[in-house]
Amino acid sequence: MRVVLIAAVWLAIAIPASAQTPVIPMTVPEMWGAWCARCHGNDGRGKVSEPTVTVEPLDFTDCKIASAEPDVDWEAAIGYGGPAVGLSSQMPAFGDVLTTEQVQGFVRHLRAFCIEKGWPSGNLNLPRPIFTEKAFPEDELVFLPVATHDKHRPWEYEMSVVYERRFGRRAQLEAVLPMESVYVSSLDHPENGLGNIEIGLKYALTPHAIRYLLTAGFDVEFTTGAEGRLLDQHLPVYEPYLAAATMLGATYLQGQFKVEIPSPDSFKTRETIYNIYVGRDTSVFPNTWTLGLEFTGENKELWLTPQLRKGLTKTGALGAAVGVRLPLNEREEHGFAVVGYLLWEYREPVLSRR
Amino acid sequence: MGISRTGLIAAVALALLWPLSPSRAIADGATRAAGIISGVATTKEAGPRPIRVTIDPQVCGQSLPDESILVDADGHLANVVLTIAGVKTPAPAETFVSNEKCAFVPRVSIMRPGGALKMSSKDPMLHTMHAAAADGRAFFNISIPIPNVTLSRSIDKAGVVTLSCSTHTWMRGYLVVTDERTSVTGPDGKFQIDGLPAGTYDLRIWHETLKAAPMKVVVKDGETTTANVTLGR
Repeated sequence: MRVVLIAAVWLAIAIPASAQTPVIPMTVPEMWGAWCARCHGNDGRGKVSEPTVTVEPLDFTDCKIASAEPDVDWEAAIGYGGPAVGLSSQMPAFGDVLTTEQVQGFVRHLRAFCIEKGWPSGNLNLPRPIFTEKAFPEDELVFLPVATHDKHRPWEYEMSVVYERRFGRRAQLEAVLPMESVYVSSLDHPENGLGNIEIGLKYALTPHAIRYLLTAGFDVEFTTGAEGRLLDQHLPVYEPYLAAATMLGATYLQGQFKVEIPSPDSFKTRETIYNIYVGRDTSVFPNTWTLGLEFTGENKELWLTPQLRKGLTKTGALGAAVGVRLPLNEREEHGFAVVGYLLWEYREPVLSRR
Repeated sequence: MGISRTGLIAAVALALLWPLSPSRAIADGATRAAGIISGVATTKEAGPRPIRVTIDPQVCGQSLPDESILVDADGHLANVVLTIAGVKTPAPAETFVSNEKCAFVPRVSIMRPGGALKMSSKDPMLHTMHAAAADGRAFFNISIPIPNVTLSRSIDKAGVVTLSCSTHTWMRGYLVVTDERTSVTGPDGKFQIDGLPAGTYDLRIWHETLKAAPMKVVVKDGETTTANVTLGR
């Protein structure tokens, strides 16, 4: 009887206490349920019955959102709060109360809301080099100006507009529309106009690999521009390529190997393009500076392009790069070029969310 | 040409005392003949209805008083900030704000520009401290999901900073970031600002909901000047 009484008293004390006092969560899933789920929901969809924030959180079950950005972006958002990566200030910073391992655990937790397989890891979505094709499929609009100079002729200019559209998990369509001003020595004046239009398709071959990404692509270049008119050549050029991305510690490595084959029977006159880019960020935030060095080759001609890239807004949806392409051989014939780009990730918010 | 030993000592003493003497004189004078402004802040406005709690009632309770107008039965108004314009006296280097039963305690604090804001919680659940300027721009938003930890941030820019919590929408707190002499009224509406040299001062009055025009107050050495203020909408 006494035992029953003690048990009853214990229950009377213990049950209300456990029902009233929230338990301090210890594991990442428990912390998600107790803290993050208040806004993001237990299922990560960003919809809760009684929202307390005015900016609706991202839907982490949307694999395009959950997979596209690198871990460091998510870690910065969790550690420093939303504004660190251009997201809402209603996303608070947890860095003061979490260990680095716990922050990384949250990133794994939110990525796991995407249950579809075959989305390439955002950790391999590396900063765009100026010449080397990215292996990661993107939704971008890129303006690529090039100003070339050598001692035999005046400056030549080219501005290419590149439209990239990702579709599906692994593919991307691309169209390139260049405007150019090419100096013609026989005419002793520049020939201005549309350059060679290019359309292309690329497809990620290794979406399940977490340390590297290998992508195959195929571009077709139509010699519609000034160069084609001068050469009386209006046949397409087929350009299959492989692009790769990986990281060595905090250093980006990207490469591309491409063959340009004029149609229909000119395999002997093919050109071989090979590009390697090495780069490194100066911070973990999307608006960081990135220092890069790009080695480019076309047959036996070699160039080196030191370059700087900068995210122009906190979201990183606008970015710009500038570099100088220097010839490593045949310097008499090849001058230097000032190169760069301005890019817009048109599916991302340009400005920070309040 | 030589310098006498006495002359050298006098010169060194003068050099050492020279930069200190003016400020010391002011400080001593202020202490000896300090004037005081004191008064009571009142309002005819009634306090709002209590807030119905919609989340975490096990910690916050079913309802909470709406302290946007914290007034007693006699009209004494708490959380009014009175500032002597132009008199530079920085607040302490550290300002403490805690989350207690889903309210910021204290609700209104004074903070020195560049000083440390120390934030903590006594509640066993997630609170956030979202500090925003008058234009809505966020200084920071940090989470305090566990009790009994103290986090620190700094705000350099003078002005009124609003504190809110991303998970408990009714929670409000205010930081008046200033290097001027201030006083905050307590529950009895009283305030006192002492250590003022004789002169005429502009007394600015701030409250999160109610308003009152600035007042000119004449302070005489060694005397207490009464400056009662009445706030309205």
